[in-house]
Amino acid sequence: MLASTSRDDGVMTNTDTCAIDAKALRKNFSAGTAVDDVSFTVSSGRVVGLLGPNGAGKTTTIRMLLGLASADSGHALIHGRPYSGWKHPLQMVGTVLDAGGLHPGRTGRQHLRIVAAQTKAPAERVDEVLSEVDMSAAADRAVSGYSLGMRQRIALAAALVGSPRILILDEPANGLDPSGMHWLRARLRAFANGGGAVLLSSHVLSDVEQIADDIVVIAEGRVVADGALATVAGSGGGDLERFYLQLTEGSRSEVR
Amino acid sequence: MFRAEMLKLTTTKTPKIAVAVGAGGLILTQIIFVTLLPALAAGTIGPGRAALGDDFPALDLGSTSAQLDALSPFGASSGGGSVGIAVLAVVMMGVLAGTSDYRFGGIVAAALAQPRRVRILASKAAATGVVGLATGLVFTLVSLATLLGTVAVMGLPLAATPLEIAGVIARGTLAVGALTLIALSIGILARSQLAGVLIMLAIIMLEPIVLSITGLILGHIPAAMQFLPLSLANAVIGTTSSGIPFPLALAGLGAITLALLGLAALALKRRDI
Repeated sequence: MLASTSRDDGVMTNTDTCAIDAKALRKNFSAGTAVDDVSFTVSSGRVVGLLGPNGAGKTTTIRMLLGLASADSGHALIHGRPYSGWKHPLQMVGTVLDAGGLHPGRTGRQHLRIVAAQTKAPAERVDEVLSEVDMSAAADRAVSGYSLGMRQRIALAAALVGSPRILILDEPANGLDPSGMHWLRARLRAFANGGGAVLLSSHVLSDVEQIADDIVVIAEGRVVADGALATVAGSGGGDLERFYLQLTEGSRSEVR
Repeated sequence: MFRAEMLKLTTTKTPKIAVAVGAGGLILTQIIFVTLLPALAAGTIGPGRAALGDDFPALDLGSTSAQLDALSPFGASSGGGSVGIAVLAVVMMGVLAGTSDYRFGGIVAAALAQPRRVRILASKAAATGVVGLATGLVFTLVSLATLLGTVAVMGLPLAATPLEIAGVIARGTLAVGALTLIALSIGILARSQLAGVLIMLAIIMLEPIVLSITGLILGHIPAAMQFLPLSLANAVIGTTSSGIPFPLALAGLGAITLALLGLAALALKRRDI
């Protein structure tokens, strides 16, 4: 799938199929190495599941992709540039991290108005994304009264405000009810079919299995498997869960 | 980003509560120092001056200096070495403006929207500065209203000229704006709400104590020690006796504010979020 949209803050040509390019990322903390030589790509039109147990390095990897944490070595490019190289990055990448960083005293609509101001999106976009995530009716209630699923929907709405070409979502399914999950899967598939790229971090294998085209498995800070879901899972006898457990509970030997 | 930061400040209760508490405290303080004490001194209420003793402060609200002192946004008592509720409200508002983004994750959204983090700090400082200036204006107007009400009730003439009053309002507004930005910087540097509040409380509560002890030991306060935030803010307002002229006080307060904002910008730029 080619991404051919030209944007005001950069040049995208129909050769921009590599939406995310992580190359040899490494990050050390005082407690040890969190991410070690992590490389993978996410192409336009694909949904990539980033899998791994808690503490495997998924969130640190995502933070390095987004410039929130500096990499000790390696690089991460978003359509050929570092994230910080985009003039209006939220128009390029929509993200859901930490359940969206919602202040409990604000309403959902107020939160989205702030995001729209940050994104330089028109005010009407707030109503559009509220409708898109089916939160229009609850938009003027304080976030403190929201369920976890409602917070996730507002966080997703915030990610969509800038009409991005890439979505990077860290555990976006947390708290979503079955209908919410169904909506999320459909929304992400439509997004990818429209030429967008999705990087979806999760430790819920069934969620990823139903939506991802490709998977990247991280364990102990290293990529231990990546490729098309069908191919990778096929090497585990078609059982993603068994394959995943073999990788993450076993040694650090790579399966590529 | 400025608009987003303004929205952050105006869509939470903290600044409104800070202004309300500060204004309420200011009215109470002014009533005590501007109305109650002069009335006690004059014998209008209470046992009379003679019964109150020689230690009772001589307050002449009919004088220009006393009326200008009563216009201070920090309360008429601030120059006497105590920390007023209005000062507490201002610095708490500034600290919380700096820490709430860390507490609720808004700093991540800001960094995603503007990867050049110095610009985040600039936007945050501009928005907080505007709110701080507005707060300073509200506080000085509250003080003015209290003074006007008091002199009217007491049948005193308004000795201060409109130009002098306007000068105190302008300088008071500037001083409150600067203190708000100092507190914002401390909040961003501390990140933790509790740590930020404690550090800021320590700064503003220790300063009068240190100055008092120094004065007791040395018999005077060295000029260098007057270059502390609260002393400089009071010198900028100019209603209390200070050895620092207004331009120097303004430059000193501005330098402290800019230095702390610079440190906050550096920390924001270098930290992982």
